[in-house]
Amino acid sequence: MSSYVQVLGALPDLAKGLWVTLELTVLSAVTSFIVGHLIWWLRGRATPFWRGLGHLYVSLMRGVPSIVQLFIVFFSLPLIGLGGKPLLAAVLAIGLNSAAYVAEILRANYRSLPHGQSEASYALGLSAFQLWWYVSSPQVLRNSLPALVNEFTLVVKTTPLASVVAVTELTYAGQLVIARTFEATPVLMVVVAGYLLVCWPTLKLARGLERRFNRARSH
Amino acid sequence: MDWSAIVDNAPDLAVGLGLTLRLALVSACAALAFGAVLAWALQKGQPWLQGTVRAYIDFILGLPMLVLIYLLFFILPEYGITLSSPVVGVTALTLYYGPYMGELLRAAFAGIPRGQYEASAALGLRPFQALRHVLLKQALPVVLPPSVGLLIGLIKDTALLSVVGVEEFMYAAKQAISTSYAPLEIYLVVAIAYWLITLLLDSAAGCIERRLNRHRIA
Repeated sequence: MSSYVQVLGALPDLAKGLWVTLELTVLSAVTSFIVGHLIWWLRGRATPFWRGLGHLYVSLMRGVPSIVQLFIVFFSLPLIGLGGKPLLAAVLAIGLNSAAYVAEILRANYRSLPHGQSEASYALGLSAFQLWWYVSSPQVLRNSLPALVNEFTLVVKTTPLASVVAVTELTYAGQLVIARTFEATPVLMVVVAGYLLVCWPTLKLARGLERRFNRARSH
Repeated sequence: MDWSAIVDNAPDLAVGLGLTLRLALVSACAALAFGAVLAWALQKGQPWLQGTVRAYIDFILGLPMLVLIYLLFFILPEYGITLSSPVVGVTALTLYYGPYMGELLRAAFAGIPRGQYEASAALGLRPFQALRHVLLKQALPVVLPPSVGLLIGLIKDTALLSVVGVEEFMYAAKQAISTSYAPLEIYLVVAIAYWLITLLLDSAAGCIERRLNRHRIA
């Protein structure tokens, strides 16, 4: 029983790890949202070069394992004088990877908008930015919401990767406790519970939004 | 940049890549079979079985792949189950991708009109014959594109097995880095190799898709 007391004593460490996981998730998700918009914009350019660049970005992010991407970012950062920052490397790697998927989500929903809208906006004399800000963006974001929430849970599930560059998020915190107490089963149970605690409500939210949107569309 | 590190370690990297491809192939087949069982259980199983399967799927959907790998690697030995690390790796991938594959199969078969099942029965086809001659031909074009996406995800996730010492591509890369200390060069080459595999799969899937849909009028 003493082993369980040891694990109980490690709970604050695990809670701290869960907090770092949440920080990592939010920072990565924000990065992903911003860069995702940029890539979406690139892929809509008329110039084949920029469009191709956007396409290449998505293809590379989709085709290379996240753990390889993380190591590439981790070993590239020192080249621009940002060495020894594992959290930054993790946020960039996870965020830039997810950005490709966010860009695809936004693009798919943008393409489902009726073409007449942009024609009407030009006829009304709206600039390209005004068209995006007042007309397209609100609809695209609203329609993308279920898929974006789903993408958020995928980001949560990618964060354990940060443990391989020694960011003390939930998984790595768990490993440290296991190394100290030699109690793998109870510690891993707590770690699993931590992830389910974050993922289940978000997954439920995504499903609820999807159902609501489908209902709205069928009326 | 020190590209000689690549040339020196090319044979070891190739061996690692070979294991990655074999791991992915075995896991993909196992996940397909497991997914089919899950889909069948959700459709035809007793209520208790359906409940169990649903709980299992929810469990997997909320769990990071890396944590599942650690679960199997740390907990199985505590209960006296010691398997070789590639076997545990294949098990982890199968357990993780089964539910996703099952969901694709379920959706595809649910999309086939009810009348097709009834017509097959009326023609006296046995369940297996109906599956082979009527249902599979309609489900396959629906299942194929998203399952290629899953397969790509599965291949990428084999790289995670390197953290528990499965000697696949990523592990070979780490070994090469520890002797040459040229991390960026080696990881870039590894990234390109994974990327090429993805491109190859995507184009192969495109060909098969066109062939499966060749009877349709464009």
